[in-house]
Amino acid sequence: MTPFDTYPAGLLPAGSQDRTPMPSPLEIIDARKSFRTPEGGTMTALDGISLKLASAEFVTLLGPSGCGKTTLLRTISGFETLDAGEVLIDGSAVTQMPAHRRPVNTVFQRYALFGHMSVARNVGYALEIAGRDKREIRTRVGEMLELVGLAGMEKRSIQQLSGGQQQRVALARALAAKPKLLLLDEPLSALDKNLRQKMQQELKALQRELGIGFIFVTHDQEEALTMSDRIAVLAHGQIQQIGAPTELYQTPANLFTADFLGESNLLPVTVTSGRGCLPDGQSFATPHAPGEATLLLRPEALSVTPPDGHALSFTGTIRETYYTGTDHQIALETPAHGTMHALLRSGGALPCLGSEITLYAPAQGLHLIDEAAP
Amino acid sequence: MSLARRKLLQLVGLLGVPTVFLLIFFFGPLLIMLVYSFLTPGLYGGVDWIFSHLNYGRILGWADTRYEKFDPVYIAIFLRSLKLAALTVLASLAVCYPAAFWISRMRPGMRDFAIFLVTLPFFVSLIVRLFAWVLILRPTGFLNQGLMGLGLTGGPIEFLYTDFAVILGMTYVFIPFMFLPLYGSIEKLDMAQIEASSDLGATRFQTFRKVILPATLPGIVGGSIITFIPALGNFIVPSVLGGAKVLMIGNLIEQQFLSARNWPFGSALAMLVMSAVLVLLIAQFRLAKKEAQS
Repeated sequence: MTPFDTYPAGLLPAGSQDRTPMPSPLEIIDARKSFRTPEGGTMTALDGISLKLASAEFVTLLGPSGCGKTTLLRTISGFETLDAGEVLIDGSAVTQMPAHRRPVNTVFQRYALFGHMSVARNVGYALEIAGRDKREIRTRVGEMLELVGLAGMEKRSIQQLSGGQQQRVALARALAAKPKLLLLDEPLSALDKNLRQKMQQELKALQRELGIGFIFVTHDQEEALTMSDRIAVLAHGQIQQIGAPTELYQTPANLFTADFLGESNLLPVTVTSGRGCLPDGQSFATPHAPGEATLLLRPEALSVTPPDGHALSFTGTIRETYYTGTDHQIALETPAHGTMHALLRSGGALPCLGSEITLYAPAQGLHLIDEAAP
Repeated sequence: MSLARRKLLQLVGLLGVPTVFLLIFFFGPLLIMLVYSFLTPGLYGGVDWIFSHLNYGRILGWADTRYEKFDPVYIAIFLRSLKLAALTVLASLAVCYPAAFWISRMRPGMRDFAIFLVTLPFFVSLIVRLFAWVLILRPTGFLNQGLMGLGLTGGPIEFLYTDFAVILGMTYVFIPFMFLPLYGSIEKLDMAQIEASSDLGATRFQTFRKVILPATLPGIVGGSIITFIPALGNFIVPSVLGGAKVLMIGNLIEQQFLSARNWPFGSALAMLVMSAVLVLLIAQFRLAKKEAQS
């Protein structure tokens, strides 16, 4: 079963179910790639990765550095060749096709704009290479610059632009030749926080407007959650889990995903005949199969007021508090579970450092991860 | 003492001596040459302090019709020197561009070693190195022996004392001059830009023409100029490898000063070379300024 088969129908873009089946914008089948390290060993960058875009989706490849996400992107753009496996773009195999003939374009991490050319020539480069008519190029460049909010900037030189503007030029340049798929290699990492958030929203809106697939590489989980239709979490050259942001956040399939996406409290659980048992003796009903498992409690699931019905409670001493404006982040030292993290809405009584406090979590709908806790 | 005054004194203290030194020992000789080029040659060498424009006339087209007619041979030698210098620049470029590209992509340790190798010839006397080329190129030299041994030619080929030998020798001598500025601009080349170009549909050749070449143009121009200038005035390489057959303007000037003892005419020839170089530098400066504006 490929990840695509489990794709929740409700998340497909409107109207896409009743259309006749179109070729997938991108399909990767069992991609494998290893590199020789300078020390003489081998490093497996891609260890059997399969991925299929259902439609013009915004898919994020998320993972720590060295997880293979950039390598995967480069095999799509054609800068790396696979040791084994296939890459299909729009239904046709491009595995052996050199980069310059592939119908995809890339927004590079540090933009890689041509410093000796004007903004207009940068944006029109792909069309110039394709030998298009000068008037057509000028029109298209104008459209593209308008699309990214840089109308009238044609004559500027790259050095005259701010980082955010360069980012937009890189985007316009990659989109000018109407690629079937846009690849983005951590394009926002060089921008400051406010600008980054603005660009995240614009990129998402742009993807909807253009109706083409975006493959976005990042190590920033917040960025991934904000923008993506689906996120593929990568580690050690494998896809750990792929799914909608809410799915990944609320019901991670393994410890790596749970830990990498957001803050989490991971508690060891022993399940016997429909009941999960915590080390301190508290128990709760669960449909999970018997055996060792891990309970995922997100910091925001904990609260100072007990919820209605059965609840889990955790008593401990407050070791650290951070005030973020909307919330208090708390590190709670508990005798049974070690340090736990909680996120409390501000406005209530301010928990003070060193005081003892009891936090509650509803005992229903808890998510258990199959692996035993670390 | 006010701060501004102190700064001024510091400036004078720091720059005064070098400035005076340069004015006397750099511009001084040039000025002497310029003045001499408008004087009359003395009977036994040296100069007579009588104004004369005939030194330039002899080169450019008006002659002292009493003793000699105008002979375009000097212009011909000058033009030949321009041609040989230009070919030397092209040959050095052809060697250094790929080499600089290759070396810039090596790992750091190897890279430093390769750059050291490029500058290695500087450690041996130029004359010795040129005579080594004589041993290679002469009719019984290594090159001819090798070619004949392989059966590629029946008899020895005349390599020595040809334009070819002079260009080869000057290319050999000036390769480090071309290499270093080229390497400087090629090393700074952003590999991501090359990938971006390829990503946007350009073939390797298109990428080279539209991205790599324009981005490394400053290095090409810089290397070409500092190769062309000494190549144009060179007299050691043509005198060792060109013999009496390939005379360059540098040899002519040397002869006027040392053999013919016609200092004013030698000075006029030197001024001609210098003005050619100046014209070239001004043209390059204008071009760079235009480039910076657009």
